[in-house]
Amino acid sequence: MPFDQALRFASIWLASTSFIGLTLGAGLPEWLAVLTGAALIVALLRNAGGKSVGRLATYALISTTGWNLLVIVGFLGFWVDMLWVSGELLPAGVHFLMILMIIKLFNLKRRRDYLHLYAISLVAILAAGSLTTDLWYLPIFLLYLFVGVWTLLLFQLTKHPEESGILTMSVAMRPQPLASVSQVTPQFFWLANGLALATFGLTVVIFFTIPRVGAGFYQKGFGENIRTSGFSETVNLGEIGPIKRDPSVVMRVELSDGPPQEAGRLYLRGVAFDQYDGKAWTNRLNHRRAVSEDAVGTFVLRSSRSLATPRLGDTIRQNILLEPLDTPVLFAAPLVERVSGKFPSVQSDLTGSVYLPFPSSSRIEYSVLSRSNPVLPEDLGAEPSVYPESVIRHFLQIPSQPERIAVLAKEITHTQRTIYDKATAIHSFLTHNFRYSLDAPLAEQDQPLEEFLFTRKTGYCEHYATAMVIMLRTIGIPARLVTGFLATEWNEYGNYYVVRQQDAHAWVEVHLPHSGWITMDPTPPSIESIGSGSPAWHALGRMLDTIRLQWGRFFVQYSAADQLAVVRELKAGSTSARNKAFDSISTLFSPFMAMFGGMAGYASKGTIQSLAELLIPTLIGLAVLLWLGIRRPWVKGMISKKTTRDEQVIMQLYGRMIGHLARKGIAKLTAMPPLEFVRLTQERWSNAGSAVASITDLYCRARFGQISPTREELSLAEDHLRDLMTLEKP
Amino acid sequence: MNSTDIIRAIQENIARVIKGKPQVIEMSLVALLARGHLLLEDVPGVGKTTLAHSLAKSLDCSFKRIQFTSDLLPSDIVGVSIFNRQKQAFEFMPGPIFANIVLADEINRTTPKTQSSLLEAMSEAQISFDNKTYPLNQPFMVIATQNPAEYHGTFPLPESQLDRFLMRLRIGYPSPEEEKKVLDRPQSLHPAEELRPLLATHDVLLLQDQVDRVLMDESITDYLLAIVQRTRQSDLLSLGVSTRGALALSRAAKALSLVRGRTYCLPDDIKELAPIVLSHRIMVARTQGLHQRNFEQAERIIQDLVDSIPVPV
Repeated sequence: MPFDQALRFASIWLASTSFIGLTLGAGLPEWLAVLTGAALIVALLRNAGGKSVGRLATYALISTTGWNLLVIVGFLGFWVDMLWVSGELLPAGVHFLMILMIIKLFNLKRRRDYLHLYAISLVAILAAGSLTTDLWYLPIFLLYLFVGVWTLLLFQLTKHPEESGILTMSVAMRPQPLASVSQVTPQFFWLANGLALATFGLTVVIFFTIPRVGAGFYQKGFGENIRTSGFSETVNLGEIGPIKRDPSVVMRVELSDGPPQEAGRLYLRGVAFDQYDGKAWTNRLNHRRAVSEDAVGTFVLRSSRSLATPRLGDTIRQNILLEPLDTPVLFAAPLVERVSGKFPSVQSDLTGSVYLPFPSSSRIEYSVLSRSNPVLPEDLGAEPSVYPESVIRHFLQIPSQPERIAVLAKEITHTQRTIYDKATAIHSFLTHNFRYSLDAPLAEQDQPLEEFLFTRKTGYCEHYATAMVIMLRTIGIPARLVTGFLATEWNEYGNYYVVRQQDAHAWVEVHLPHSGWITMDPTPPSIESIGSGSPAWHALGRMLDTIRLQWGRFFVQYSAADQLAVVRELKAGSTSARNKAFDSISTLFSPFMAMFGGMAGYASKGTIQSLAELLIPTLIGLAVLLWLGIRRPWVKGMISKKTTRDEQVIMQLYGRMIGHLARKGIAKLTAMPPLEFVRLTQERWSNAGSAVASITDLYCRARFGQISPTREELSLAEDHLRDLMTLEKP
Repeated sequence: MNSTDIIRAIQENIARVIKGKPQVIEMSLVALLARGHLLLEDVPGVGKTTLAHSLAKSLDCSFKRIQFTSDLLPSDIVGVSIFNRQKQAFEFMPGPIFANIVLADEINRTTPKTQSSLLEAMSEAQISFDNKTYPLNQPFMVIATQNPAEYHGTFPLPESQLDRFLMRLRIGYPSPEEEKKVLDRPQSLHPAEELRPLLATHDVLLLQDQVDRVLMDESITDYLLAIVQRTRQSDLLSLGVSTRGALALSRAAKALSLVRGRTYCLPDDIKELAPIVLSHRIMVARTQGLHQRNFEQAERIIQDLVDSIPVPV
């Protein structure tokens, strides 16, 4: 493809990319999007040489005055738009920008028109960046960067088409096709792509290192708030069930100690409930007190297990990224020992639940150290034991209800001796005789528990949990209902659990005299929860989720503090720090590589903040690379300045040479053109011939060919002149 | 291989046939690349026809030769309509002008009527016949020859037609050494037949397009115009150079720059080309007492004139 055609293509693609960015960012009304899209397609087809379209477009051409009038109308429309229709600067400006782009697309005649188009595209992609922070912006922006490098390269190279005047030969005598510089050759193709990649690499480096400003103007504190239920003061039976159809992601839990639990499940405890009134659970022990802060940002919960012999279970370290929820609860695996995060304070209640002082409106990240609670051997023994008063007071409450639940509980457990065996018996009774269903009745029943146990024998997780708690209490075993999430979806690419709304769950904590509270889940595994669809598709989904996580963590939420940390570590210079920085970058890019392998249409809602911070260093990187990659700067004014200076130098040299030769008796007549004078000199003074020829050649190129000499050529010419001065004429 | 190398290869190719005349070969290429036509004026037997033939051969172009005689008719050049019995209609049979390179041998031997039938073809690159227009092949170049020694029974070309030739060249006798080489060559085969094509017609068009992109500095344009202006004001000349002449000089200078491997024109190009591009477009004043058509004198006048005009520095 010839350069100028390639340039037109690249320019239109550049405009298209920024247009796509704006459209996906929902910055355009439909009619304007359709109009701009049509204009871009027409422009592309025209360039591709579609004859009929080309002719059509020529008919549609309006005179210059007409276009100017259109611009003025568009500008007036912009004011109307801003003052009355949109009422805001950004959308109105974006609309006006697109109108300008359409007008420019039909007026790509001179080189400055191309520059205008680039400027419009740049503003458009910046506007798109300030409209969205979703992940799809990244591929669009990368595409923009890529096409941008191509466009600027081509723009630079088409500047002197006559310099590369080379053509192909197609005669049988020379079978091999001749490479030509004015065409887009494979070498050029890879050079341009390499340059684009290098630009991107440099961008990343600059992004992580250049000091950043607040940019508070762009930071909208948005992020979708997920409505939840079951984590507040009360939970109604049948309330959690409907949530179980919502696949939106609530949190992601990284396990720093490696692979998931053997069962592939992780219970993330939210709130515990002690009081049941026959229909709903409430938490009476909700008096929260602040948790003492160990170090800055680290809060230690005092173990409530001091009454029994402390026997340590396995520790679980979790790194939790929690989406904004309408609850202040901090979820974690039981039992929480230590919470660290950027919180001013953390509260806990008597049931061991952990809270923030108020719900967060943005995504928060915290890490938790939990210790699992195993059943101690003492509890497996037969001897009866005594519960502490506080436990009996709170966790044996039973609502007034039919006798038959208690009868059923006794029936199930009468052969069992120990508390633990009794609990296990009820647990297995529920898991084996009942069926899990999402089509269970709603909460508006008089006696939901009785209905569940004796009539329907099918229900949600909270039915099971409630049944178990009440049955345990009727036989005198303290128990409580716990709500939270059951994480089952392990993401092997990012080593974390994805927890969705549909993973909301309720289960039971049973108090054993020695072990304390242990977790039991009477809900049988759901058949329906096993997802449909091919495993490959699921793997792709997990891959994309990983990328989104890294995107949010490394770019969108990359703050001055993070940057400071990177810089500090780099400054420390330790290999571990360098490895860490390298690791974070490589973790970021490994999923990208995977993404480019198999990314198709992907649209989802991401999160928070603006990307202006990403864009500005990118552009700086682009400029720097172009400066380095192409010897001459691409700002036109700079070129002419440079040319003028070098041209003056070579013309001075030439003038001095003429003067010197005249003194030696070889005068240049006014009617003697330069090359003729060279021949004359060569005839009369053959020793000086080569020096004169080379200086004259440089002079002619600069004076008549507008090809400015390079530094080396200039210094060479100076050497020649010096030699000439010392040369003796015979 | 870039355009300069290709052009050099063609020149060497032709030089294998036309011995010792590199300048003539170079200028004929200039005429071709400038989309011009060539008038070769010299005595018989110095290789006018051979030059045209070998140029066509080197370019993989179609080549036709028309021997101009006093009884030649326009239809012998352009073509004729023949009645087709099957189709019950007249059919146009294209004449020898439908070729890429047309050699019009001894063009001044035919009548002005026939000469003028070349006129449209040369300037418009098309011919009209029976109210219909037929485009000619591209590239299209007419190489006309005429013999300056004989004037008996000739019809000198009118000014309008001379102006349509980009340049007028003389070949001249070769030096004895070169002539010896010509004699040593085997005589059984026409020398031009040995040549192999180096450039396809398509590439010729590309080269012609490249000529348009050769840079001519404003100062050189001014220099060119100064020369043209001087011919119009000179007392020695009764007819100066037309605007078409100025245009021809500019195009020729660009083509010469390309042939010499430059992307820009130099004053040297203009000065070198001025005599051969301009001398057939002017008329020497009667006060000079010589034949108006004395081209040699015209060339000398142009040369003197150019020698007095300052070149841009």
